[in-house]
Amino acid sequence: MRPFAVVLVKECLDGVRDRRAVLSALIFPVLAPFLVYFLIHTMIELRSQDKDMLVAVQGADNAPHLMAWMAEKGVEFSVATGDPKTLVSNQSEELVLVIPDNFAARIAEAKTSYVELVSDSSRNDSRITVARVRSLVRGYNSELASLRLIVRGVSPEVMSVISIVDSEVASQQEIATSVLSFIPIYIVLAAFISGMGIAVDSTAGERERKTFEALLINPVSRLQIVLGKWVAATLFAVLGMSLTLVLCMLVMSYVQIEELGLRFHVSALQVIAMLLATLPLAFLATSMQMLVGIFAKSFKDAQSYIGFLVLLPMLPGLYTMFNPIKTETWMYAVPMLGQHLLLTDVMGGVAVPVVGYFLSPMAVLLLCFVFSAITARLFKRESIIFS
Amino acid sequence: MIEVKQVSKQFGGVSAVKDVSFLAPAGQVTGLLGPNGAGKSTTLRMLYGLLVPDTGQVFIDEINVAENTRLAQSRLGVMTDNHGLYARLTAREHIHYFGRLHGMESEQVEARASELITLLGMGPIADRRTHGFSQGERTKVCMAQCLVHSPGNVVLDEPTNGLDVMTTRIVREVVQELRVMGITVLFSSHLMHEVARLCDNIVIVSMGEVVAEGTTEMIKLLAQEDDLEDAFVKLVEQVIPL
Repeated sequence: MRPFAVVLVKECLDGVRDRRAVLSALIFPVLAPFLVYFLIHTMIELRSQDKDMLVAVQGADNAPHLMAWMAEKGVEFSVATGDPKTLVSNQSEELVLVIPDNFAARIAEAKTSYVELVSDSSRNDSRITVARVRSLVRGYNSELASLRLIVRGVSPEVMSVISIVDSEVASQQEIATSVLSFIPIYIVLAAFISGMGIAVDSTAGERERKTFEALLINPVSRLQIVLGKWVAATLFAVLGMSLTLVLCMLVMSYVQIEELGLRFHVSALQVIAMLLATLPLAFLATSMQMLVGIFAKSFKDAQSYIGFLVLLPMLPGLYTMFNPIKTETWMYAVPMLGQHLLLTDVMGGVAVPVVGYFLSPMAVLLLCFVFSAITARLFKRESIIFS
Repeated sequence: MIEVKQVSKQFGGVSAVKDVSFLAPAGQVTGLLGPNGAGKSTTLRMLYGLLVPDTGQVFIDEINVAENTRLAQSRLGVMTDNHGLYARLTAREHIHYFGRLHGMESEQVEARASELITLLGMGPIADRRTHGFSQGERTKVCMAQCLVHSPGNVVLDEPTNGLDVMTTRIVREVVQELRVMGITVLFSSHLMHEVARLCDNIVIVSMGEVVAEGTTEMIKLLAQEDDLEDAFVKLVEQVIPL
């Protein structure tokens, strides 16, 4: 057996027995699908909520026709008593619709009637309801306006100069993917979290336990030692990633995503392609963590630096979430961005150019080897061996 | 055989080791004696290839350590002074790991591990994880680790530091046995009586320099003292600037 394999086997054994490493490798993959389920479930809940909305009204008797019209659209009413502004500001009501006494009289005179919508725009949870009430009132307004025009022998079309017709080019699967863009972020996170325990324990831990010196006296090249440790940590990272991916996909097949008006189906082949696309990230994550770990004198010391590393792979994901970009071939060669593009494209059922499949792992693996070579060099530095 | 030739090492402008030379012949126990901070550990680290000397060379069985580090290391068994262990591995797994790193086959290591476990009286702790081991138990594991590949040269850095009488005796017995087997033993310590008892030859270092070298009788003669401890103190203080 090559020394590389000896180190690999030992680190795996050590890692499996390390409760801290095993927990950090497993907690996230098991937790992430629950989060996915919870998030989608909440989205569906929100959707079904606005089908029957409860709105507090003051002076409902002043506009029986408007009330009836809104009730038809699925709105239920409650009577608000007291000062509407106080009711909203002390959070006992999301919003209050105030209808003045002269409402019906002004309509009868064909004058503009006013209704007051009392709300608190700093509250996120009421925004949807407020927007919906606003659009309902507008709808009622344009319906009445059209009737007034017809009565006067004018076509309502006079009032509508331009009307927008929505036309969607993204496939249902692509829309679903953009809604579900947190799944790729989870998978990338899993790569960084699952291998961290071993990556840190086999570098900073080795220094902390004072075993480093004895290890390096053995007639083995530093590169072999680093490679053994690296591959061991990567195995954990790959395990965590695969588990996260498979469990997320499993949850997706249970959740009623159709309720969101979306369609999402991923085949086993796609899951495998997604796994292959993101696999290099596991290598990258652990090689970076080992490089940081070898600078740290203890496990805790290392953890405080490595926290920042997790943010790195999330950048392309977050960036594209807010600034959609047009994919160019060179982008596949950018580590982490390439993986993110591959993952979202495969998940969305978009064809990826073959060169992308080659370019993205090559770029990442190259970077990995650079990191590992630097780590191996650091293994020779006197200040790191004896401290 | 271990040969140190005019070795010097500086750390940030401070000389830790200055022009140190000595010879540790095969089949003899050589003691590297010196007060704390005399440069013992630095000298040993250059000897087993983890520090590169600024000037001078070290030879293990006539192999130049700087030029052929791994070959030299394969002839060496080293026990460092910090006795660090992997808390989640058993004593036997430690021996196994180091044996495999020295390129031994699995069966070979198994047999050798059992041999060492008997030799060092580690039977009851052999298959326990090393977490919570006493200083004596840790020393035994490190000792077994250092001897697993049956090296021709053994370097022990302060092996009896903080040990109880029983474990100290075991260490002494093992050192005697190694000598009988014709192995080169280099032993560092700051304990005079320890060295006087075990070593054929003594190299006294102080302030990074060799101040005396020879048998206990020769050392006493050199310092013109009857007591070895007095001789040691006198020789060491010669080079300490007042």
